Amino acid sequence: MVKKWPKLLGVFLLGLMVILSGCNFEESSSDAKDKKGGEKTEKKAENVLNLSLDNDIPDLNQVKTTDTISFSVLNNVMEGLYRINQDNEPEPAMAKSYDVSEDGLTYTFHLRDNVKWSDGNPVTANDFKYSWLRAMNPDTAGSYSFILADYIKGGAKFAAGETAADTVAIEAKDDQTLVVQLEKPTPFFVSLTAFVTYFPLNEKFVTEKGDQFALNNQNILYNGPYVITDYNQAEGVSLEKNPEYWDKANVGVDKINLKVIKEQSTALNLYEAGDLDRVILSSADVNSFKDSKEFGTETEFTSYYIQFNLGKDPISNTNIRKALQLAYDPEVLTSVVLNNGSEPATGLIAPKMTGADGKSFRELQGDVVKPDVNKAKELWEKGVKELGKTPEITLLTADDTVSKDTGTFLQSEYKKNLGIDIQLVTKPYSGRLQTMRDNDYQMVVSKWGADYNDPMTYLDLWMSPAIPFRGNYSNTKYDELVTEAKDEVDEKERMSKLLEAEKILLQDDAVLGTLYYQGTAFLQKPYLKGMVTHPSGAPLDLKYTTVQ
Amino acid sequence: MKNAESLVTDEFSDDLFEVVGPREEDSERIGRPPMSAFKDSWMRLKKNKGAVISLIILIIIALLAIIGPHMNEYKYYETDYGASYQAPNQDHWLGTDKFGRDQWTRIWQGTRISLYIAFLAALLDLIIGVTLGAISALMGGKVDNALQRLIEVLVGIPHLIVVILLIMLMEPGIITITVAMVITGWVNMARLVRAQIFKLKGQEFVLAAKSLGSSNTRLILHHLIPNTIGLIVINMMFTIPSAIFTEAFLSFIGLGLQEPHASLGVLINDGFKGMRNQFYLLAYPAVVIIAVMVSFNILADGLRDALDPKMRK
Amino acid sequence: MKKYVFIRLINIVITLFVIATVTFFLMKQLPGSPFDEEKLAVLSDEQRAEFLARYGLDKPVTTQYVLYLGNLLKGDLGTSFYFKGQDVTSILVDRIGPSALIGTQAIILGLTIGIILGIIAAFRHNTVWDYSTMFLAVLGVSVPNFVFAALLQYYVGLKLGLLPVAFWESYSSSIMPSIALALSVIALIARYTRNEMLEVLGQDYMLTAKAKGVKRLKIIYVHAIRNALIPVVTVLGPITVSLLTGSLVIENIFGVPGIGSLFVDSIKVNDYTTIMGLTLFYSAFFILTMLVIDLLYGMIDPRIRISGVKE
Repeated sequence: MVKKWPKLLGVFLLGLMVILSGCNFEESSSDAKDKKGGEKTEKKAENVLNLSLDNDIPDLNQVKTTDTISFSVLNNVMEGLYRINQDNEPEPAMAKSYDVSEDGLTYTFHLRDNVKWSDGNPVTANDFKYSWLRAMNPDTAGSYSFILADYIKGGAKFAAGETAADTVAIEAKDDQTLVVQLEKPTPFFVSLTAFVTYFPLNEKFVTEKGDQFALNNQNILYNGPYVITDYNQAEGVSLEKNPEYWDKANVGVDKINLKVIKEQSTALNLYEAGDLDRVILSSADVNSFKDSKEFGTETEFTSYYIQFNLGKDPISNTNIRKALQLAYDPEVLTSVVLNNGSEPATGLIAPKMTGADGKSFRELQGDVVKPDVNKAKELWEKGVKELGKTPEITLLTADDTVSKDTGTFLQSEYKKNLGIDIQLVTKPYSGRLQTMRDNDYQMVVSKWGADYNDPMTYLDLWMSPAIPFRGNYSNTKYDELVTEAKDEVDEKERMSKLLEAEKILLQDDAVLGTLYYQGTAFLQKPYLKGMVTHPSGAPLDLKYTTVQ
Repeated sequence: MKNAESLVTDEFSDDLFEVVGPREEDSERIGRPPMSAFKDSWMRLKKNKGAVISLIILIIIALLAIIGPHMNEYKYYETDYGASYQAPNQDHWLGTDKFGRDQWTRIWQGTRISLYIAFLAALLDLIIGVTLGAISALMGGKVDNALQRLIEVLVGIPHLIVVILLIMLMEPGIITITVAMVITGWVNMARLVRAQIFKLKGQEFVLAAKSLGSSNTRLILHHLIPNTIGLIVINMMFTIPSAIFTEAFLSFIGLGLQEPHASLGVLINDGFKGMRNQFYLLAYPAVVIIAVMVSFNILADGLRDALDPKMRK
Repeated sequence: MKKYVFIRLINIVITLFVIATVTFFLMKQLPGSPFDEEKLAVLSDEQRAEFLARYGLDKPVTTQYVLYLGNLLKGDLGTSFYFKGQDVTSILVDRIGPSALIGTQAIILGLTIGIILGIIAAFRHNTVWDYSTMFLAVLGVSVPNFVFAALLQYYVGLKLGLLPVAFWESYSSSIMPSIALALSVIALIARYTRNEMLEVLGQDYMLTAKAKGVKRLKIIYVHAIRNALIPVVTVLGPITVSLLTGSLVIENIFGVPGIGSLFVDSIKVNDYTTIMGLTLFYSAFFILTMLVIDLLYGMIDPRIRISGVKE
């Protein structure tokens, strides 16, 4: 037996080598070691930024992609006419300026002279026209085509396949001038041009690559601060400073690694080991890092709420709805249960979202929903009397930890404050959405993430016609307000209409129970500066980041 | 030969021998008490210290699952947001979770569900797994072929798809989870039993039993199954914990019992998330599962030794 | 024998066809579509149908099925809906490598340690050795492997700094995930080996061997192990399949770009083509392993005759 061991071992090793050779490690082991040793001691000398992505990178084709991870990558290697800056305001990027007509319907963008693609060719107005038409063309579009088609004149019909491309009001007057006509005055149109789907595309390059466009890092032409040097959907991307970028003098980092790490605890370990420069904390870890200098929180333009289904008994009863809306305190939910930097919601529109006169929408509006247990009880009893019986209620949630925790919280609060037992029903992500479409729920924990920085991104969701997905809600007064706001050129007038609309939605009709504005708690190394995360659209912007 | 015979009769004549008669004292002496097979096994089991201790631990856990939740004033669903994430202390013996719910109460409440799941998994294994495995091996030929293909198809279809469809079709709860487990919970057992019986089929004692006219039923119940018990017991050691964790996963995505109910598997999964800072949330439910499984295994092993005629000394 | 294998191979094709068919129709019943549902959910039924029509998803399921089968026969698994435009075959090839590596290492490690522990436990039956092996084995299956993985990562990776915490960069990245995966294999193999060894040791031919004065090690090797391997081989089949095809949690914890998380994710996002590709790959692998095992039975123990095998 002893003699046979070496033989067996040999077979094992041979097998191992065969497998190893078929197995694509990113770098050879010696390289990786050198790199790591270097990073630990000469971090600042190396000027490299290491961050993690919390899931695979599904699709870097800007026309079709819809997820925030792909958005985050693309936002750093591409650039639109404008770019959202540190203060969340649009600043000139590919364009140096724009003019807008008095009726707010015609925008003329003037491109910079020195903007180039990563292959050295100039970026022209036609690259934008080509890209925008491609993003609306039903043959090539993805599910974000509406973000152009809803605003650009002739876009909606073209996107529906009813008219030809030449009916869309986008005109490349010359290489440096792009004229766009809009359906309605859209004060936030300039910030929309910073959205991923609005980025330019080089027609010749895209046609040449055909099906293979954007499938690997060589098949993308870049015009942003960085270029992708390495791309693997399951592992992540490596970025390097783009030598052709017009503003390369202000790009602070030479190399960026964005690695896919799906497990939060792993990311935290990597951060502590010095392999990551920033990490998102899970709620269980927040308490032990709260006092650290590296700790911070931020909120996004994503609001969580209970969607009541007005088409289902007993939720159709306004008193019951109001009771369910007021019987819990979101403050407890965010500070104890979620504990991840989220803020308690007193309205639908996230804080810091633009309002008018330099004030945010929330500052102008104040609290719309104030939890009040006694009032809730009163309303509940009134509602029960009207119904003639104590109703049975179920709450639908998605199957992620945060939604489930929210469900558990609501269940316990309703029991404590209203004395009722509600049933929780958990469904997987698309199962929850399907159930909502099928009108098979009473109330559901739902959310909406803003596409752009304007209250309209929320408020036009509940306009008629009534659909089960939005709780079968329909109110002519609400419709009027939102429609009028869409046509209004005067910024103040427009805002006051939107403010009233939110009040109707939440106070009068109690269509939603406000929960929280999504936030994140993170740790960030002290040498990492200028790290920008946007609350809507593409979250990650590393143009201004430095590590030295 | 004749000579030899005469030689014997010659040399050992009858009068050389003396009749001593029955020895009274010996015939009354009980060398080994007469025992039924069951009593015999029980005796031998009692001698196995490990098995006895395991049995006691299992009984204690079962008792705690019954009375544990009533041993303090807290209810398993009772939240207290002022007392979240408390380490074990006088009020909350095993600490509290993020909702401020008492872990002691939740663990024992959860043990009930997990014990049910364990029981269910064992039952499925025994009833469906062993039967199909035995049939497959004994009948052979077309039946075996068909059953093996069935298993391949069941294993081949992604379980998660079936589970999501079940979630969409059925109300969450213990029945739904049972249905989900019936679909493939028994497959490994069936394959193991089949392999073992194939091995036994060719052995001499089966041939002997057959030629003595044993019926198929008798053959299965008295010869083949007893010789497979060791394997069956071991396989349960794996199916039970994996069933407990499958239940936790299924509950998480919405198939099983929903909050505020919890099972040990769910508690462990939740505890894992806070493992870095609240290790006790993971440790205690894990200790209960380990205690149940270790005891169950030592006891089952002891039982097997006790029941197995080959092990008699 | 050849005829038996031939028949089995035909069976495999039929079984795979059945699996593909059932999976296809079940999969199409899943809620949602491969697209951003939050955006699509608000569309009216007509708008939604119009959108899906662009991807050929409006056709009756049977038509889609026939189209899929047609492509499949040409060896084309289609392109992924989620990783838009990427070839399913190339995604699979990319992802299998890492999973197969850590899986193989885990099996080798698990088999070696498991068999050794099992033998020790059997020869020292009812002693401390036996009980501690049993305890370790039970521990290995009662505590989920992701807990071990997280502990390993925290202590060996972070605190001691012996191995990389995560990422898939060098061979050393594969060591911790392999160990974490191996634990349950060790438990399983040790337990089965012990049991079978005990049984074999009680058999008459072992007594004969002992009486003949055969050395102890030789007894173990020549007589005992060979006979004890049947159940080990049986359980090794599914283990091999599940380890080589990836483990979701372990891969997520160590940042391994493997196939395990792809399976779950593709179902969650209704990535139809990827689901089908993975299902076919997984089933084919499973069925072939089963065939190999059935053939192995006969080689290990000549007394076994699987039905249908004729020399």
